[in-house]
Amino acid sequence: MSSSPVYLDYAATTPVAPQVAARMAECLTFEGTFGNPGSSSHEYGERARERVEAARAQVAAAVGAEPSEVVWTSGATEANNLAIFGTAHYHRGVGGHIVTARTEHRSVLDPCRELERRGWRVTYLKPDREGLIDPQAVAAAIEPDTVLVSLMHVNNEIGTLQDIAAIAVSCAAQGRARLHVDAAQSVGKCAVNFAALGVDLMSLSAHKAYGPKGVGALLVSRRRGARLAPLHLGGGQEGGLRSGTVPTHQVVGMGAAFELASAALPYEIERVALLQERLWEGLATLGGVTRNGGARSVPHLLNVSFDGVEGESLVAAIRPHLAVSTGSACTSIHREPSSVLRALGRDDRSAESSLRFSIGRFSTASDVDTALAVVKHALERLRRIAGA
Amino acid sequence: MYSELTRRYFESAARAGVLEGARCFRGSAGSRAQGTWVQFDVQLAPSARSLEEARFLAFGCPHVIAVSSWVAERASGLELGARLPESVEALRERFAVPTEKLGRLLIIEDAWIAALRAAGAG
Repeated sequence: MSSSPVYLDYAATTPVAPQVAARMAECLTFEGTFGNPGSSSHEYGERARERVEAARAQVAAAVGAEPSEVVWTSGATEANNLAIFGTAHYHRGVGGHIVTARTEHRSVLDPCRELERRGWRVTYLKPDREGLIDPQAVAAAIEPDTVLVSLMHVNNEIGTLQDIAAIAVSCAAQGRARLHVDAAQSVGKCAVNFAALGVDLMSLSAHKAYGPKGVGALLVSRRRGARLAPLHLGGGQEGGLRSGTVPTHQVVGMGAAFELASAALPYEIERVALLQERLWEGLATLGGVTRNGGARSVPHLLNVSFDGVEGESLVAAIRPHLAVSTGSACTSIHREPSSVLRALGRDDRSAESSLRFSIGRFSTASDVDTALAVVKHALERLRRIAGA
Repeated sequence: MYSELTRRYFESAARAGVLEGARCFRGSAGSRAQGTWVQFDVQLAPSARSLEEARFLAFGCPHVIAVSSWVAERASGLELGARLPESVEALRERFAVPTEKLGRLLIIEDAWIAALRAAGAG
């Protein structure tokens, strides 16, 4: 076994691609494009603004949007907050209801819960056992004062790929409700076309696609007339939707990363799918193994529950050799079963003894084989200790 | 997250297993469904006044496995009494078990006592 853990946690974050790091480095020092892109009175600012706008065009091209629809944020969490609170604030006095799902990321669920504390009503849709939301259930949940439906494109824990186009049709048929899609996990893992999906708002993250941490974007559909109130006030950057100096090196990194991810997508999907198949076939031979999620999912994620082992011990046993995520949210002493797996109907023990393997650009067949050997050894040992 | 001692005993779990045959007795506590289950098998010395050896099975966190393994390791030569080789509090300190996990150590104690009572201890 390798002395350095095999990294199969690309859904948590990815390393910055070397080409991306090189583009970012060009925007940091005095010799580079360090100026404030908001400084229109001199050449330094103008050069930075050109880099920012070029990056905006790269991101837009990668996801089928117009450059004018890209609003830079600090990441997908801020983008989700801006989409939800921004829509709610803009429509206050008109709307009072939001629709989302139990399987959403906390950066969607927590703002929804906060709005509930402020008097809003939120409907949390239940997925089927594979994590899919029925578009008809979305339509049925929309009420006359629903202002927003917020659903993710690719689930971050189980990889389920929602039928966003069908959900958008459901939303459009019901009138006023806007559709926000958290697509933090999508870029580089599946095709994304903001315009074709019929979505009003879409959250993006750079660091899930070999870009830097600390930058993301919210796509705001101009064609569909999406309206938001800003959460940050100040310099009026980003059309007044997100005040604050645009970090040139960060957005340049995101632009470069998205361009690379978009170009690599066709062959990367095929390569990753083969690795996932190899991983699943190997895990399935270990017995007492249940796959969480279903056929309609991206190939990069594989979430599996293991019978006969306690979750914390499983994680402790593999940790020296394998970097994957677990089916529980861990604080220093307290573990809570994944709310996503619970929403799929898994019990606490099953959720706690699950692992999320996420394959990425630098994963190899050898990594997969090492992961299989590590998990096999840990399972056999812990099951023997448990008398299972 | 885990002390060096906890990791060492979790990784080795040298006394994991069962004992069967003459002078062997078994006790268990907890439940897998609740997340912690422990079983001890003890074998009495021919004199029936002390323990010859012990084995354990455990479904639980690394602390549960490590402490159970340590307890089983300490069994050899212990006089037959319904007590752990060390108090639960001493075990908690020795293995740096978070206070919130104290209940899991009590399950280990219950399993140990059940095995010793099956063997005829007080």
